[in-house]
Amino acid sequence: MKQPCFISTTSLTDVTLNIPGISDDAIDTFDNSQTSFWLVDMNDPTSGWNTVCKLRSNPYPAVYLRPIVYLMGADLLPEEIYHAANGHIKPENMNQRTLDSWASKLEPINLWIEKLEQPNTAKDTNIAFRVLRLIACSDREVSPTTSTRVNSGFVYPLLDPLFSKEDNSTFETLNFLLEQKLINSSFVSKAHFCGHCESAFLNFKETCTQCNSEDIVSDEIVHHFKCAYTGKISDFRNNDELTCPKCERTLQHIGVDYDKPSIIFSCNHCTHTFQEPEIQATCFSCSRTSSPENLTHRIIYSYSMSAIGKNAAIYGLDTLFTRIMESKLRLTPMPVFKEFYAIEASRIQRYKVSTSSLTLIHIANMSSVYIRMAHRAKELFEELSVIFRTTLRTCDVMTALNESTFFVIMTETAPQHAERAIERLNERITALLGNNLDFIPEIQSEIFKIDENIELDDTLEAFQEKHVD
Amino acid sequence: MLIEEILIFLSQLDAMKILLYFWPFFLLDMTRYLLLDFLVIILYIPKRYLQRHQYNNARKRLYKERPLVSILVPGKNEGKHITALAHSLSHQSYKNFELIIVDDGSDDQTPIICKALEKKGLIDLFIRNDVRGGKASAANTALNFSKGKYIVHIDADSHMAADSIEKILLPFYMEENVGAVGGDVRVANSEESFATRLQAIEYMKSLSTGRTVSSELGILRIIAGAHGAFRRDILLRLHGWDVGPGLDGDITLKIRKLGFRVVHEPMAVCYTHVPDSFKKLAKQRFRWDRSIVRFRLRKHKDILLPSKSFSLSNFITSAENIFFNIILDIKWWLYITQLIIFSPEVMLIIFIINYVLYLIANILQFLIAFALLHSTFLRKDYILFLFIPLIPIYTGLYLRLVRTYAYLMEIFHGASYRDKWNPWKVSKIAEKERL
Repeated sequence: MKQPCFISTTSLTDVTLNIPGISDDAIDTFDNSQTSFWLVDMNDPTSGWNTVCKLRSNPYPAVYLRPIVYLMGADLLPEEIYHAANGHIKPENMNQRTLDSWASKLEPINLWIEKLEQPNTAKDTNIAFRVLRLIACSDREVSPTTSTRVNSGFVYPLLDPLFSKEDNSTFETLNFLLEQKLINSSFVSKAHFCGHCESAFLNFKETCTQCNSEDIVSDEIVHHFKCAYTGKISDFRNNDELTCPKCERTLQHIGVDYDKPSIIFSCNHCTHTFQEPEIQATCFSCSRTSSPENLTHRIIYSYSMSAIGKNAAIYGLDTLFTRIMESKLRLTPMPVFKEFYAIEASRIQRYKVSTSSLTLIHIANMSSVYIRMAHRAKELFEELSVIFRTTLRTCDVMTALNESTFFVIMTETAPQHAERAIERLNERITALLGNNLDFIPEIQSEIFKIDENIELDDTLEAFQEKHVD
Repeated sequence: MLIEEILIFLSQLDAMKILLYFWPFFLLDMTRYLLLDFLVIILYIPKRYLQRHQYNNARKRLYKERPLVSILVPGKNEGKHITALAHSLSHQSYKNFELIIVDDGSDDQTPIICKALEKKGLIDLFIRNDVRGGKASAANTALNFSKGKYIVHIDADSHMAADSIEKILLPFYMEENVGAVGGDVRVANSEESFATRLQAIEYMKSLSTGRTVSSELGILRIIAGAHGAFRRDILLRLHGWDVGPGLDGDITLKIRKLGFRVVHEPMAVCYTHVPDSFKKLAKQRFRWDRSIVRFRLRKHKDILLPSKSFSLSNFITSAENIFFNIILDIKWWLYITQLIIFSPEVMLIIFIINYVLYLIANILQFLIAFALLHSTFLRKDYILFLFIPLIPIYTGLYLRLVRTYAYLMEIFHGASYRDKWNPWKVSKIAEKERL
């Protein structure tokens, strides 16, 4: 029988039930195979939220996908934190029956996790894939809530703990998944964001069309039918009545003896008169002022899984990148690569006449670039493939760990020559990304002279540990 | 055969018979519209030449002061004309003006066009009144938000000669006490149709020459809405225009009543679009002619009566207008009745002779207009001379029929109060209050 695992963040909680309890430092080492959900202590909301973020940012699916239930404290939680959990238990309801009830309610999520291959040992490193899996296993629509805590003004509570930085990456990731047709969207709202810092907190104001002053006043225009006098309503005000300044008659009923054909604005600063004031928006965050057409307009959607997405979430993102890599770069599958390495190492050992190099390359933060590019990521990847193909030789053997980590056996190439090839590669990739996307990539590489004493698996793992996110 | 009969008829005429058969021409029309015009213009042309230094000095004073001029253009569904108007204004020799357009509840593309021009800086202020209030209300809206020392009111379907603003302002700097100046209105679309060509001739001889003569005689009774300049302080004192139709004649009389001079400036030329068919023209004239009854006979009848503020020139202005337009309109029906009763056998001959007399008068009037306006004549204006033979029929029959019908409808039915030119709610109040 699965049980919840209680994660205490304060010493205030008095949990008397007989369930396993750990501190949030022990999440990685705890065997969660029999855990029905994480019961997070929210007595201290800040610490509790940190725990939630730790759980959701853990790379292992068995940890980050596992349901989270809050053991509520006395404080009311902000909406976006409250809805980040799969369930909530009030301290007064804390008993075995409640825990069992939640365990059975959340069991479908655990069953979904069990369908995955090695959920406790295979890391999910791609953020888009993690988002996809989290949406898929919770099997619910991911809806935004408004929040003053974040610059963007909108938070997807379920996904928020996945993203450590406060930037646009939640929107970009969801947009990427939508472009790939892995999720479906439905309209929730439309919003304006600052064109400079993406903040949703904007002060919209009417300004003078001539001097941009905000010190403007509006007046209704009144037309007196009898004498055709037409002027500002302030010209007509006479105590509690409206009296025509031309014929001195008291205005009786709007539509009968007078009407109000329009409104006019006057600027107290430059005396300019106008009917349609300029709308300006000042960002509360960066204090920049822009006109509405220069703001970012975005539709805010809620998201649900598509049929393709459900499948991809379980069996992995057989991304279009991999397909392009395979066709354009003639990538070798990893087992074949390892086999070839073994042959090359023993050949060099046997004849001792030539030198070959093993080159490990990682382009940092590429996944965020792909996500930013959304549907155009394919074109970027094709460009990158061309650079690889023209820099490397046909006799080089190449494999890819993912869309940004590549391993190459450069036959008959000494490490110093391999280094020159990597430099060329670096220059070309930097030029491509720097000129077109304003993104200066950080290319990390290591070069080893191939010999039988180098343990390939250990080398690759060490490289991944060191460089791969 | 007919010519022989005419010659025989003419040979039998003596002075008494001439008067008996042709009294409308010799006693009234020739005296008032030909001889008087001729006498005044013959004096005016050298006077104008002699005053050239005064005009130059006035021009210097104008440019030294450089007062802001507010150009007001009220209108409904006039968007198609506004672009041409705004561009014509951008070429004016006098530059210190603001252009204020008031859209009186248009239901076409006018607001879009005007907003675009306002953004480009070709319009200084565009006011869109969602609810239509009528031309006076739109003009008053513009007046209320104007800032200039002088107001120039023009119609949206007009465009101006490059020196028009400068020329229309000069009379304010020539003489003291000038309250308003009428600009010269010409036909912009004279080549468009037969109807527009005839109107072009009519505008030159009746409006341009006629108003110059009236101005010289001190009895000018109308500053055309299509092109008129006013002192803003006077318009504000009057709180702007009253409910129309005929609001331009009305405001002119009100300015005169305040004791200010109103003058016509024939060199300040503005081109306006006139109705391009006789049907549309009849509608326009029906509206104009009714306003004579409504404003001269009803609203401003006090001018004709002795009072503290009685002014002889104002009396003559109104009386001349009433006499020559309303009362003498009856003369034609009396004349026709006279011919039917007393000389039915020579009616055709009398009609032909009358036609020739009026044709000669029109040719002479056109020549007087040419003498006055030749410096502003365009090439197309010379062709109009060929159409003069049709003018006696145009003015003598067509316009007279429309005028008589308009007078009768206004006198007996107050038709102007039901004119769609004003919104119904405004017309209802105007009728109730007999404005």
